[in-house]
Amino acid sequence: MREYVVKAGASILFFCLLVSGYGIIAQATGRETISIEDATGRSVEIILPVRRLVVLTSDALEVIRALKAEDLVLGVNTGIARDPRFWPMLKNRQRVGSWMEPSYELIAELNPDIVIGYARHPSQDMEKKLIPFGITVIRLDFYKMRTLLKEVRTLGRILGKEEEARQLTTWYRKNLNLTEERMRDTDGRPLVYIESYSKYHTTGPGSGGHEMCALAGGHNIASGFSIPYPEITPEWVLAENPHIIIKATSLSCCYAMTDLQPLKSIRDNIIARPAWDNIRAVQGGKVYVMAGDIWTGPRAIIGATYLAKWFHPDFFEDIDPANLHKEYLERFQRIKYQGVYVYPRKVPKVISELK
Amino acid sequence: MLSIRELGFGYKTIRALKNVGIDLNKGEVLSVVGPNGAGKTTLLKCIIRIVKPDKGTILIDGKDTSLMKRLALARCIGYVPQNSPSKFPITVFDAVLMGRRPYMSWKPCKKDLEIVAELLASMDLEDIALRDFDHLSGGQKQKVLLARAFAQDPVYLLLDEPTSNLDLRHQMEVMEMISEMVKKKGMAAILAMHDLNLASRFSDRIVMLNDGKIYCSGEPSLVMTAENIMSVYGVEVSINTDNSHPYILPIRPVISSKVKAQS
Amino acid sequence: MEDICQQYKSFTGKKVTFMILLTVAVFGVALIAISQGPSSVGFKDSFAALFRDAGLAHAIVWKLRFPRIVMAVLVGCGLALAGTVFQSILRNPLASPYTLGIAASAGFGAVMAIVFGAGLYSEYLIAGNAFFFALVSSLLILGIARLKGSTVETMVLAGIAIMFLFSSLSSLLQYMGTMEEVHEIVFWFFGSLSKVGWKEIGIASAMILVPIPILWKWSWDLNLLAAGDESAKALGVNVTRIRMLGVVLASLITAGAICFTGVIGFIGLVSPHITRMVVGGDHRFLLPASALVGAVLVLTADTLGRTLWAPQVIPVGIVTSFIGVPFFFYLLMKKTREYW
Repeated sequence: MREYVVKAGASILFFCLLVSGYGIIAQATGRETISIEDATGRSVEIILPVRRLVVLTSDALEVIRALKAEDLVLGVNTGIARDPRFWPMLKNRQRVGSWMEPSYELIAELNPDIVIGYARHPSQDMEKKLIPFGITVIRLDFYKMRTLLKEVRTLGRILGKEEEARQLTTWYRKNLNLTEERMRDTDGRPLVYIESYSKYHTTGPGSGGHEMCALAGGHNIASGFSIPYPEITPEWVLAENPHIIIKATSLSCCYAMTDLQPLKSIRDNIIARPAWDNIRAVQGGKVYVMAGDIWTGPRAIIGATYLAKWFHPDFFEDIDPANLHKEYLERFQRIKYQGVYVYPRKVPKVISELK
Repeated sequence: MLSIRELGFGYKTIRALKNVGIDLNKGEVLSVVGPNGAGKTTLLKCIIRIVKPDKGTILIDGKDTSLMKRLALARCIGYVPQNSPSKFPITVFDAVLMGRRPYMSWKPCKKDLEIVAELLASMDLEDIALRDFDHLSGGQKQKVLLARAFAQDPVYLLLDEPTSNLDLRHQMEVMEMISEMVKKKGMAAILAMHDLNLASRFSDRIVMLNDGKIYCSGEPSLVMTAENIMSVYGVEVSINTDNSHPYILPIRPVISSKVKAQS
Repeated sequence: MEDICQQYKSFTGKKVTFMILLTVAVFGVALIAISQGPSSVGFKDSFAALFRDAGLAHAIVWKLRFPRIVMAVLVGCGLALAGTVFQSILRNPLASPYTLGIAASAGFGAVMAIVFGAGLYSEYLIAGNAFFFALVSSLLILGIARLKGSTVETMVLAGIAIMFLFSSLSSLLQYMGTMEEVHEIVFWFFGSLSKVGWKEIGIASAMILVPIPILWKWSWDLNLLAAGDESAKALGVNVTRIRMLGVVLASLITAGAICFTGVIGFIGLVSPHITRMVVGGDHRFLLPASALVGAVLVLTADTLGRTLWAPQVIPVGIVTSFIGVPFFFYLLMKKTREYW
């Protein structure tokens, strides 16, 4: 009996020691781990706090700046050098190569806690190369409207910027709700032809453009398609006779741009396409061009608001998407609002009458 | 008359021909013999300007051929290469019709077609006139190439080893055709030959080349001597004279140092 | 003897018949093509609209369907013809308009315009640049041939080197490009006929049609080149000149064919072979017949591409291989010759 008590006491003591020991170790390193789910759907263990970052996508970089965490960024993708005025503080950080294929050697040398890339780029190589160096790879897209809010919250948790993340998601939520609310009263959805970056390539289900169109209260004429970026014939557009044409251009880095001409000439080109003068959108002047900056990425909400205003001008009369953009850049990105992102800025007068 | 004067030619580092001079009269068949690499083929190529000689001149009836247009030259000199690559299909008739190219415009006229038909008939190629050249036997191919050169209606004919790879009958046929044509049309021919017996049997004169230079030349019986063949080819032979043509029977090769000592 | 002449004439007659049949086929497929489309303009309407100004149908037929058909025919002719010429002057049955690196260099031009021309959105910039670089590659080949001799081997090797040079340059630019630009580049390499209107046809036809009579006039020289440089020279052909100019003209045709439409593969390789199986190697017949075969192939491929999965279009560059390969295999099996 006594023996039993001793044994039990000893094991209890041992257990206590074990627990406190673990506590001491955890305290000594000051490290706690969290588990997050990234854009590929897998869960990743992250040891907090995260103090050193390499960011391979400019979308993620923009969100990081919105979370006031740009000081943690050691390395960036080389592409941001093309838009130095948008990245006044980050343009001089170590460049580690392209978003598709960065230099793992440079990254290893920078020795970050985590590296952020897109879900599909760079390839799985990145994990193979960097995990042996004790670097955690996280894949977050930030360019899909559907998952944007979730990803912002995830990033907030990783960086310990939950409050900033909450502010950003609240702002997104507020504007999304506003759009949805207004949409409830609209009568019907206009037919919309969306052209992606390449001529006569539209955006079908599965593409960001299709999603945005639906969100903004339009009916994508390519809704019944089975591939996201199919080639189509000009005749099909003519046959569908959309009310509105939206052209997304690969023209990006529009922050530094002041001239409307490039966007205008894209629009003029569309209007001048053979036989397209028979399309309602062209006849009514409802042909809009949008820059890549607000077409996808963290600012897609601004693009979507533009779309909503173009689709339903009467219901969004009091809303100027440019103001939204200004608010976003000044409040969250802490840079001056400038640049040219859409053409035409104003809804042509004729259409309201036509409609 | 075709005169070759002090002809010299070099490939990058090797001098292939040195100071070669030959005169060829109409009605003559001249064979150029010599071991591999002696410069036989190069000599023919220089004459027809497939390669450009470094030195010397070639005159046709006193006219410098280097001043002649390629097309004009093609009307004077016909050339039968050793082999003709055939990556793409071509009928025998078309292959022979090519020989008329120096004369005809885009569309062959009636005369061109008749000449070709006549040649095919006389050379016993009628039955295969519309067959693919590539499907012919070696002997037939050689005859077609010969027909092409005849269709060219040249005064001088250059043939690069016309009998190599042919069976006995075709060898004889081809050689007969050449000498017959030369006699009939008053042409002259230069043949690069490996077969010394055929060369002596059908040639009026023989030029023996060694190392790019003319070693000796003259009537077959003067050139085809055991001494000459020993020093040029390094082969011991015995010569029999039969019907005034020397007949060469090779016996054994001789070690090269010995040849040098002898020569 | 009379007999041979007669045989030869009927042999020639067969070739001419084949060409007439091909011409009929081009018109036949064109008639089907002009009646196909996603709009309600059907078979009857489209023919009525072809000759009568009937509003929208007229616009659809004349501005959308007709130019597409004309361009398909032009591109098909051009690529097939260029392929035939490259095969004979390089004496290589594996040659195609793209053998000497033209597709790679034109592609590089297009990629460059897409990546660096961001501020100057224009199809003409892309097309112009593609065209310019297509010619740069052929000039590079000529330069190398001048220095090193214009033999077949030199040119093919130089072409391969140039192809690698330009495709790595393209890769470099793609590597530097954004996701959007990479997307656009991929589509350019698929090839598409959607982008062409009458203006593009005007420019392309000048580049494709002008060299054709010159090349056709050289038929005998090309025949002789196929029989070997030595025979050709001996029969009075200026081999160097024909080969050099041939490269320039065939490159011009290729550049004209691909600068507006992107790379459409396979046509230039396979049309000459298909044609040779029927009409033989005489370029007087081979050139026009092969151009017609190319036209039928591209037109058929494009019509299928835009009707099979309508209104989504399967890029013509993809369909050409789908319809060309089985047909090609069939002929390959049927024929006795080693290759084709």
